[in-house]
Amino acid sequence: MTYHNLLFVLAAFFAVWAVMARKLLTSAIMLALVSVTVSLIFFDFGAPWAGVFELSVCAGLITVLFIGGVSLIRTEEEKRPEGRARFYALPLALAAFAIAAWFYLPPFFEELAGAKVLVSGGGTIGAALWGLRRPDLLGQVLMLAAGVFVIKSVFPRRTEK
Amino acid sequence: MSAFAMDWYLIALVIFTGFYCMLASRSIVRQLIGLELISKGAMLTVISAGHQTSNLVLAQALLITMIVIEVVVVAAGLALLVKNFRIHGTADIWKLDGLKG
Amino acid sequence: MDKGLLAYLLIPLLSAVIIPFAARRRALLADILANVTLLAGLANIAWLALRPSVIQGGFADIPGDGFSLLLVGAVYLVALCVTFFSAWFMPEGQPNRAAYYSLLLVSVSAMTGVVTSTDFFTLYVFIEVLAVTSFALITTDESAGGIEGALKYFFLTFPASALIIVGVAVMLLSLGSLSFESLRIAMSAEAPAAAVTFSAALILLGFLIKSGVVPFHTWTPDAYQGAYAPVSAHLAGIVTKISGVYAIIKLATLLRFFDGRAQALSEMLMFLGMLSIAVGALAALRQTDFKRMLAFSSISQVGYIVLAAGLGTPLAVMGAVFHLINHATFKTVLFLNSASVEKATGTTDMDKLGGLEHSMPWTSWTSVVALLSTAGVPPLSGFWSKLLIILALWEAGLRGYAVMALLFSIVTLAYFMMMQKKVFFGKKGQAAESSAEVSAPLLAPAVLMCGIIVALGLLFPYFYTYVKVVAERIIL
Repeated sequence: MTYHNLLFVLAAFFAVWAVMARKLLTSAIMLALVSVTVSLIFFDFGAPWAGVFELSVCAGLITVLFIGGVSLIRTEEEKRPEGRARFYALPLALAAFAIAAWFYLPPFFEELAGAKVLVSGGGTIGAALWGLRRPDLLGQVLMLAAGVFVIKSVFPRRTEK
Repeated sequence: MSAFAMDWYLIALVIFTGFYCMLASRSIVRQLIGLELISKGAMLTVISAGHQTSNLVLAQALLITMIVIEVVVVAAGLALLVKNFRIHGTADIWKLDGLKG
Repeated sequence: MDKGLLAYLLIPLLSAVIIPFAARRRALLADILANVTLLAGLANIAWLALRPSVIQGGFADIPGDGFSLLLVGAVYLVALCVTFFSAWFMPEGQPNRAAYYSLLLVSVSAMTGVVTSTDFFTLYVFIEVLAVTSFALITTDESAGGIEGALKYFFLTFPASALIIVGVAVMLLSLGSLSFESLRIAMSAEAPAAAVTFSAALILLGFLIKSGVVPFHTWTPDAYQGAYAPVSAHLAGIVTKISGVYAIIKLATLLRFFDGRAQALSEMLMFLGMLSIAVGALAALRQTDFKRMLAFSSISQVGYIVLAAGLGTPLAVMGAVFHLINHATFKTVLFLNSASVEKATGTTDMDKLGGLEHSMPWTSWTSVVALLSTAGVPPLSGFWSKLLIILALWEAGLRGYAVMALLFSIVTLAYFMMMQKKVFFGKKGQAAESSAEVSAPLLAPAVLMCGIIVALGLLFPYFYTYVKVVAERIIL
């Protein structure tokens, strides 16, 4: 098994662990590990910019947000743990899916790969973002503005009281 | 089997895990984790497609936008979680059954 | 992206950013700024599309494909009604007042972005912005129902977005580009059909979930019922239509270029449309909550649009576009009226209401106009769009679908009549005793929309010319 495949298997493994972990904190950390693995995959594909963003933003910032959220509700969560049976069934369900999909999906994906169109995509990321994807940049600005207003709306500063 | 088909097969497993988590769990945090897993899978498909067609520059440009979106979505989801926790005192999604019909 | 319409995106964004600073001193400035921005935009659009010279020229001077401009007009119209309504509806000193208007304006920007985008990924980006703003808007009043609706919305739309992204990735793989134009070219060429169809199917599935078509409709009633009252008009009137149905119409018209190779997809779309018409109408019959009933009716009307989009002939697309606009007008009236009823009586439970006709005549009669338009009674605008859809179905040889669509339009009339009888006519309920008509500014948006419904119905020939130009530009 090559390094490349190993990374994908690791990502799937951490994903299962994140779902099955009993404590939410463990889940959040496993999610961070999935992110790290995914960013390693990006580096392996030769996409360093995506890897750096994934590593710093998803593995860093989002994990911090998650751990903040988890620590807020942890006491309540420990008081009433949810039933574990459905989570113990995950490996079983996943195995069933994996075996069934083994016969159908890879041939289908081979067909998809056969239909690919090669594009000579040159240039730098910055040029591509600015030149080709300018509306997306506008969308990003809009998204950040929306995020700020969402936080302002959900946690308003109360003047009275 | 080509490397591409193997990659996408494993991505399909990750996405399945995410959906399973969203269906099985009642906790909002766990549902968010499932959502994250699904979107990780989606990101992997984009980069893999870009790699396959030697169009990585475009794929990375798309991915950076997707990551920005993801942060805002997760932050907003956690804000909802906190607000829900304040109003209902629980993070359990099936306890919410005030609306019926 | 359509450069000519960029200003309609940037100006609301600008005033959304200004509002929190302006409102720090005087809260009233937030209302004024939001209303003025939207009114100015609407006046500008009216000047672009409704100048006498343009009408005389058969709308040939409309920039772009005309569809975008029409939808931007609808977005501004509904948003203006909602902002105007909420300026009087919202209690004084609501702590997140400024943020509410900012979010409304950002959602207007995002919707403009959606309808002017020329590329699937840009479409996705703006739809995400729209989703984020709309679930924050749902929870504006911090009620228990609002947060529940918002959570259900959240956990159904974002997995749908992930499906769209996987579809985009497959498209990147098999086309190398993401624009609508390249899909159109690939479809008319002898491209390998399987991969492109697969990606179109994934994207379509995502948008079907987002528009609340029947097997995926579970979030819709909860979100509409739980939402802050004016926001439910915004959501039902325009937001879910732009974030889901618009893309379905766009994709369905593109699928036609596949000449038969994506037949299964179109047929599935039509089947789901018919299913939503039936399930939505039958479920609406047995609701006891005013807003929840309107939500099911909304599912049923979306079914008509999806059915027509799936058919994809020029006449059907015209019907779909026209019904989209009509849906925006009549659903806004009905939801705003339900908000008025809620404000006057404190409840939307239909068993407790009744006999509001005498105390709230304006609300009652605007509801009558809107519901007759929904049910497709001539000469109101809803009649023409349903007529176009049913004619298109009949012409395409789908007699069964045509008859079913006609029958369920009668069911629509039935459940709305029941609603009207329970809420406005009949015996005075306990809630109706102490209620009085809401103030004139709260009625103004509903009256304006009713005027538009009647005008669109009576001036149908002009509108038909416009929609025909649109359908020709989209399809040819």
